[in-house]
Amino acid sequence: MKKVLRSSLIIVLLSTLLIACSSQGGNSNPSNNGKSNTGGNNNSQTEASGEQTGYPLQTDQKLTYWGEITGNLVGVKPTHQDVPFFQEWQKKTGVQLEFIAPPSGQGREAMNVLLASGDLPDLIEYNFLGDFPGGPERAIKEGYIVRLNDLIDQYAPNLKKYLQENPDIDKMVKTDSGSYYTFPFIRGDDYLKVFQGPIIRKDWLDDLGLPVPETIDEWTETLRAFKEKKGAAAPFSVVSKPRFFNDSGNGAFIGAFGVTRGFYQENGQIKFGPAEPGFKEYLNLFREWYKEGLIDKNVATADMKAVDSNMASGATGATVGNAGGGIGKWQPLVEGNDPKAVLVGTPYPVLQKGDTPKFGQRNQSFSSEGTVSITTALKNPEIAVRMLDYGYSEEGHMFFNFGTEGVSYNMEGGYPKYTDLLMKNPDKLAPAQAISMYARGSYNGPFVQDKRYAEQFFALQTQRDAVSTWQKTDAAKYNLPPLTPTPEESSEYATIMNDINTLVDEMTLKIILGSETLDQFESYIAKMKSLKLDRAIEIQNAALERYNNR
Amino acid sequence: MANRESFKQRFIRDFVLNKYLYVMMIPVVAYYVIFHYAPMYGALIAFKDFSPMKGILGSDWAGLKHFQDFFNSYYFVRVLKNTLLISLYSLLFEFPMPILLALLINEVRNRTFKRVAQTITYMPYFISMVVICGIITDFTNADGLINRLFMLLGYDGQAMLQKPELFRPIYILSEIWQRIGWESIIYIAALMGIDQEQYEAARMDGASRFKQMIYITLPGIVPVIAIMLILRMGSLLNVGFEKIILLYNPITYETADVISSFVYRKGLLEFGWSYSSAVGLFNSVINLILLITANYISRKVSKSSLW
Repeated sequence: MKKVLRSSLIIVLLSTLLIACSSQGGNSNPSNNGKSNTGGNNNSQTEASGEQTGYPLQTDQKLTYWGEITGNLVGVKPTHQDVPFFQEWQKKTGVQLEFIAPPSGQGREAMNVLLASGDLPDLIEYNFLGDFPGGPERAIKEGYIVRLNDLIDQYAPNLKKYLQENPDIDKMVKTDSGSYYTFPFIRGDDYLKVFQGPIIRKDWLDDLGLPVPETIDEWTETLRAFKEKKGAAAPFSVVSKPRFFNDSGNGAFIGAFGVTRGFYQENGQIKFGPAEPGFKEYLNLFREWYKEGLIDKNVATADMKAVDSNMASGATGATVGNAGGGIGKWQPLVEGNDPKAVLVGTPYPVLQKGDTPKFGQRNQSFSSEGTVSITTALKNPEIAVRMLDYGYSEEGHMFFNFGTEGVSYNMEGGYPKYTDLLMKNPDKLAPAQAISMYARGSYNGPFVQDKRYAEQFFALQTQRDAVSTWQKTDAAKYNLPPLTPTPEESSEYATIMNDINTLVDEMTLKIILGSETLDQFESYIAKMKSLKLDRAIEIQNAALERYNNR
Repeated sequence: MANRESFKQRFIRDFVLNKYLYVMMIPVVAYYVIFHYAPMYGALIAFKDFSPMKGILGSDWAGLKHFQDFFNSYYFVRVLKNTLLISLYSLLFEFPMPILLALLINEVRNRTFKRVAQTITYMPYFISMVVICGIITDFTNADGLINRLFMLLGYDGQAMLQKPELFRPIYILSEIWQRIGWESIIYIAALMGIDQEQYEAARMDGASRFKQMIYITLPGIVPVIAIMLILRMGSLLNVGFEKIILLYNPITYETADVISSFVYRKGLLEFGWSYSSAVGLFNSVINLILLITANYISRKVSKSSLW
């Protein structure tokens, strides 16, 4: 008996060891935190006066750079170092970079681990405004990143000039207390701010003799016709990861009832969409659509792949998506199944014909992703600042948007035209992917985005039409500018909103999928109040006031 | 042992006698010291407002604030209840399955069949959790495999992962499927150690195969079962978050949201290191209490225990 016990115990111990080992291995920490940071010793640079203006810079300082690889390149190139753009960037600026990339799509978790380790790289490309609880003020206060005001004054003439010329953008890039914290990504033209909206199968509409739907009633009719006459199993299908109907955050459909899923401003006051009566009407509409089978039955668990396959197989005739990553991706898919198929953008739905939609996707000129900050680990930041300023210089502007002349673009009559290497890639890369190999125009980064990128990127007429259709909203009036709670309020705010958003997601799905009645809406509002929604609104109102006073 | 030696003498003698065993033990001991005991010092941050730049000792004390936040949280009761229920159900339904499987395999006389059956049943254990959950999601879709089968029987297809009442069954059934073979290995090993003479004696006395199983095989592995049960009690509050997170969605939160997934949403995504440590510490303390209790009871009742 003893023997049995002993041998079994050994097995148990060994197996725990095995499991433990494998789970240790699974933690993919950015392990090469090895800091080849020679900056600390290089205090006495040759050009002590800081009058080093031309690129490439004369330096042997090597910087570590933490940043996620763009989704466009996932599966194409494994590391930054393999991407021609990043190789060329180092050559042009003369600064060597050592890249650390988190697993794709796990930037936030990886950042959490990185900060907790206390072992920081020199430069971090991260959204400190949206994805860091407490925002940039707290990141500076806790000692992760440095305040850049003096550094920009001294060493970043190009960015400084741009911000001086564009005071409204300058206001967004700063924090409430006037600190600069990052090298921003700026959408240089209104045309670049809108890229998402409802999409529909135009060929089906034509077959059925229906107009492009504008009002909610027309939408109901259209979806019904798709289901009955076109045999669509999931007439309307959307991505629900990470939250239900993820893109409703921008106000698609939900905006017809005058609300969004988050905060917005009306008459100078902050409002929280899910606590407004309009939200109940939205739930009612979707509840009925779901009951009638007009919405994908698996909507609660649908991810991008599910929607892709629904579109491709003709199970879905309408969705919400991007011009590039949506229409651009699905058009060839639907054509593969049905050569006549055409996808077009429709206006954001409204209640009364002729109304202007109140909400729609519309990014700010400064949206906080793709921005690069300097950490406290870098002792001698001059070179880093000069290097990051490159993107705002004239030469850097062309390089970031279009890549290298003669390789990825050619000047034709003063117009930078992408070469066939990008637009008709020999390795069968989609334009979005190919552009990301040689430039950052198709996503983001520390530079000012050029309209001429989008004009070429949206290769299909339907894409360009869609963007101009989607632009016709009042979103600019109701959307919030980039607000930040104070560092003191931030954790309180995060706790409240975490609980409330969980509640909102639950309420939305339960009511739409019919496991609870519509009357429950009021009791959910009461729960939100007990979770201190009013306090969150108060914090947001104060933040808006501080923003307006900047 | 007649003459009483001191502990030191006995240890030295034992060491000389079994030196290779001691050497073989080093990696395991080192693993526990490095990965389990050393980090305990970090548990300190549960009582602090941890800021990495200030370090563990330099951060400000927060007292029991994070524990209070957790206990007063709106969802505390629900996540605790869900965690306990999922644990208890899997103890009830999943725990006995590997024992049954081991007994069945033990009764099989054909060696090839035995080997094949064993291999097939423990294979799923090595499939990545993400893949398993992908398979589960596909199978339980409104038009997935399982629903197709139900449709043949005249039922309506429905997306099963959108039904809160189905979450626990799906979770536990898939758990059984994935772990049954792997967990049966230890019982099969224990079965090997049972003295064959007992069976011979029983056969002489005319005991049937079934009787042999009840009166010899089962009692033979009871100590192992007891140990496994005690170990299991020690992780009652640990429901792994990976599987939960990959399978749940807001509509199933009411039955699926457990402590670890709650901490993931709140701690990891919100950078609340101290808060998550506090919850982790709370978990560990409860688990420790459960483990000690279970061990105590087992020692009293069945005379087999961990210590």
